[in-house]
Amino acid sequence: MRDLKGAGDRESARPLVVVVGGLALTGLTVTAVTAPVADLLGNSRYALEGTLHGVTAVLFMVTATIGLFQAYRLLTGTVQHAAQLEFGGVVNAFLAFLTILFGNRIYIFYRAQGGPRTYFLENMPQIHKIFFEFKEFIALFTLPLAVAAAFLFLIYRDQFIRSRGLRNLAAVLLALTFFYFLVTFTLGAAITKLRAL
Amino acid sequence: MNSSEKPTGIAAAAILSVAVGLLALAASHLAAEYSEAAKNWVHGWGKAWMPGAQGIGPYSGKETLALIAWLGSWALLHLWLRRKNVDLTRAGILFLVGIGLATTLLWPPVIEKVLHILHGGH
Repeated sequence: MRDLKGAGDRESARPLVVVVGGLALTGLTVTAVTAPVADLLGNSRYALEGTLHGVTAVLFMVTATIGLFQAYRLLTGTVQHAAQLEFGGVVNAFLAFLTILFGNRIYIFYRAQGGPRTYFLENMPQIHKIFFEFKEFIALFTLPLAVAAAFLFLIYRDQFIRSRGLRNLAAVLLALTFFYFLVTFTLGAAITKLRAL
Repeated sequence: MNSSEKPTGIAAAAILSVAVGLLALAASHLAAEYSEAAKNWVHGWGKAWMPGAQGIGPYSGKETLALIAWLGSWALLHLWLRRKNVDLTRAGILFLVGIGLATTLLWPPVIEKVLHILHGGH
């Protein structure tokens, strides 16, 4: 049977990657030059920071969801190559870091006089005291969980394939990363809907 | 065990340190809510190094203390366990108990009850 990861397949895929990359670059350039990007970001003073936090959170949602799928594969023992996990694990951890970093930045605006925090404390104190405070803390859970999972993938590599204990541990880390991210993301989206920055 | 295989103590150290860091986060939040002096002390840790810590408030100090506890305990546990093979099921259970406790302690209605008890309420 033909090896799907053979050199022939990699070579045949190269022109396709170049064409898709070229089209994406053209599309992005046209959009960046002609689209009213400032309007897309919004007219808030904190639009850029808010957008960066939102974009990294959406990207993190994608990698955390892939992580959940990998957790299932780890539990069922269907992961064949450790390399499949390493790159995704590192990207997942990096996006957790970036989302928290930009989240920290917009937290300054959230707390500022006249910001959403003031509004919630005056009009809906329970929203701030319960939902926002909980969200801001459990958001931090995702970073050490994702970093620990990536660390295990990088350190143990193919040992994962043989050790059920390691697979279970990594699966729990990835599933928890997804769980804490999902709760944070849902609460963040709801709070933004009630009072945007 | 195959001689080329890495000891499981490395994995145990990595996950247990996560629980230590998150418990430190819960503890620092509890401390900051307990008294104004503790809140200022916690905030001081954030102000010591974090850009924008004044605007972020005591949350910056809570993040800092959690980071120190996580990375510090990881280094210590790694040095202690890196050449040992430990029971990953036990380490995993300990980790889950720690993270569950941290989550519970950070749920605002629970922390309010705990503070009520600490302040001598009935």
